Amino acid sequence: MVRLLPYAFILPPMIYLLVFMFWPLSRQMYMSLTNTRIVNPNRGRFIGLGNYERLIEDPAFYVSLKATLVYTVLTVIIGVTLGVVAALAIDRPFKGRAVARAILLFGWAVPGVAASLIWLWMYNERSGVFNRITELLGLGRFSWLTSTDYALGSVLAVTVWQVAPFVMLVVLAALQSVPQEVREAARIDGADGISTFRAVTLPHIRPSIQLAALLVAVWSIRRFDIIYLLTGGGPLGSTSTLVVKLRQTAFEGHELGMASAYGAIGLALALMVAAIHYTAEQRRMKRMSR
Amino acid sequence: MFDKISRRNLLATAAIAALAWTVGLGAGETRAQSSEKVTLKLANSQWLDALRGKNLWAAVSKYQEANPNVTLEQEAIPSAEFADKLTTEMGAGQGPDVAMMQEGLFYAMADAGFLVDLSAAAEGAKLNKTNENGVVDGKRLGVAWQRAVYALIYNKPLVDAANAKVPTTVDELIASAKAVSAATPGVIGFTARHQINDFSGWFMDFQSWAYGYGVNWVDANGKLTINTPEAVAAVTAFKKTYDAGIIPIGDSFPTQRTRFKEKHAAFSIDNSGGTLNIASGGALQSGDLYAAPMPFKNPGAHQQIFVGVSSHGKHQKEAMAFVKWLVGPVGQQALREASGPDALATDVPVSEAYSKANPWAPTFVKLAETSRSTLIKGYEVETAQIMRFVMQAVEKVILANADPKTALAEAQSAIDKQF
Repeated sequence: MVRLLPYAFILPPMIYLLVFMFWPLSRQMYMSLTNTRIVNPNRGRFIGLGNYERLIEDPAFYVSLKATLVYTVLTVIIGVTLGVVAALAIDRPFKGRAVARAILLFGWAVPGVAASLIWLWMYNERSGVFNRITELLGLGRFSWLTSTDYALGSVLAVTVWQVAPFVMLVVLAALQSVPQEVREAARIDGADGISTFRAVTLPHIRPSIQLAALLVAVWSIRRFDIIYLLTGGGPLGSTSTLVVKLRQTAFEGHELGMASAYGAIGLALALMVAAIHYTAEQRRMKRMSR
Repeated sequence: MFDKISRRNLLATAAIAALAWTVGLGAGETRAQSSEKVTLKLANSQWLDALRGKNLWAAVSKYQEANPNVTLEQEAIPSAEFADKLTTEMGAGQGPDVAMMQEGLFYAMADAGFLVDLSAAAEGAKLNKTNENGVVDGKRLGVAWQRAVYALIYNKPLVDAANAKVPTTVDELIASAKAVSAATPGVIGFTARHQINDFSGWFMDFQSWAYGYGVNWVDANGKLTINTPEAVAAVTAFKKTYDAGIIPIGDSFPTQRTRFKEKHAAFSIDNSGGTLNIASGGALQSGDLYAAPMPFKNPGAHQQIFVGVSSHGKHQKEAMAFVKWLVGPVGQQALREASGPDALATDVPVSEAYSKANPWAPTFVKLAETSRSTLIKGYEVETAQIMRFVMQAVEKVILANADPKTALAEAQSAIDKQF
């Protein structure tokens, strides 16, 4: 009986995962091999790799793939860096730390749709706050969301505003687990702030940073709300990520099979990122066990 | 003998009793059905429109007064999500009993076999030509709810204050829009959809520009023709307007409509439904809002909404009865009062009093005689996909200064590969 107890604990999440994750996922993978249309989801015909062949031949797919990769990489780099810096800044005691922490967390607390609508107004070319500021500075107006020069940057700014607080929270939790006596010992031994961070703090918080980076990367690959509401994938496809393209293919073109193929590519990207993370983690564990 | 007779009698009695029970049960069922409360769910994005939504609902609700056993229930879906949501619901075998759908969605639903034949409901109704596209493959699958035609609308006091001309060409439009903005600082010259994130609205609006320059997206043989001189001229004209600095670049169309409503815009190309919204409940009085033919040589486009009955609905008979009432004189009159100048399924004239109070209305009524569908003939289901390529070409022209001819040639090539 006691031997079976672990299985009893594992069973409910397993059932949940099977029903709500693996079954829909396997359906989607199968659907990507069919010519299913959204208006007739159960009447798709098996067409093998036909959708993938079409994807490979479609220049728009590469535009979309590039947009996804650029968006994801930049979100991870900027979001994680800012999150770590913010965590280090508020880890030290100072007056008003609680208020600063609450302000920094605000972006994470606001739902994506609400955040997008708020930023949409701030980006408004005619009456948005950003252009009011740039006009006051004599720089003139900018087409934040309708110019290919600024659209991706504008979308990234909103995304980073949302994800950096999450990274900050994760890293902050890790920072609080760094033994104070080790830090103090380093300081007594004459190590400066940067050396203490590199030799003592960073090794402790690195796994957390890696995990946060993994999550931010996966979320960026599948993020829809912010991008769709701000630019709809435009201008000129500069923010047309795989998920935006998926929605367009499914609901405009009614091609659920093709949209599933886009989804499968997105899934493959996310799995690749996860594989890189776990490989790095395995190597680290090996090094530590030596 | 007695036994035999008795057995025969017994069998006959049993048969009669069984028959009577069955018939009785049947009759009972019929009675139960007729007295049973039925709820019909009506899906329409317009239920959410300020004032107009309320008026339209009040119009259809009159059906309940005559049919107390039927309760009408709204399925109100924002217009931006309407097609996505309805497609998903219907694809899953669910959804409303009756839906008021844009023409493109109607064709997709008809193509998927999700709509029932409305011939019986339409029988005897004096349907006008707005119902022509409701017949798909010889079956009447839809009847017109409203046809909203496009026109040039303007804020007359603002235009008069600038001594500006009501334009008849694109050059005049640019000049007049600039004149109004100069005369009344802060006022926007012209409002128009111009962003790909508003694709479905933008492509339908752009059809007025295309048709205005004489574009036919298909030739006589049914081949898609995208890079024609007419299309190049339409895209060039749109680019000229975009570059003139008269459009509030970056504003969503609802924002632009609100600006118009609040007297902050001079001209717009909008359909009669949108114009009715602008004229209702804002700072701009309906009497100060005027309409004129669009500044193009040829007639423009219209948006059409069809009423369809879902084949997944549990109360198809009752839904058909509702449609029959809707296209009948009582339903049409009720709808007329809430529909502004939109053309309806039957010819119900806009009242003189209405036209007097809303000087913009008669122009729309007149333009409805020549307007064209936003859908591409023979490619009704695929129109959105085709127009995605066209609008991407327009986007390239206005944002990246691409040559209209080259951009449309690229669109043609992409379309040729896919269709």
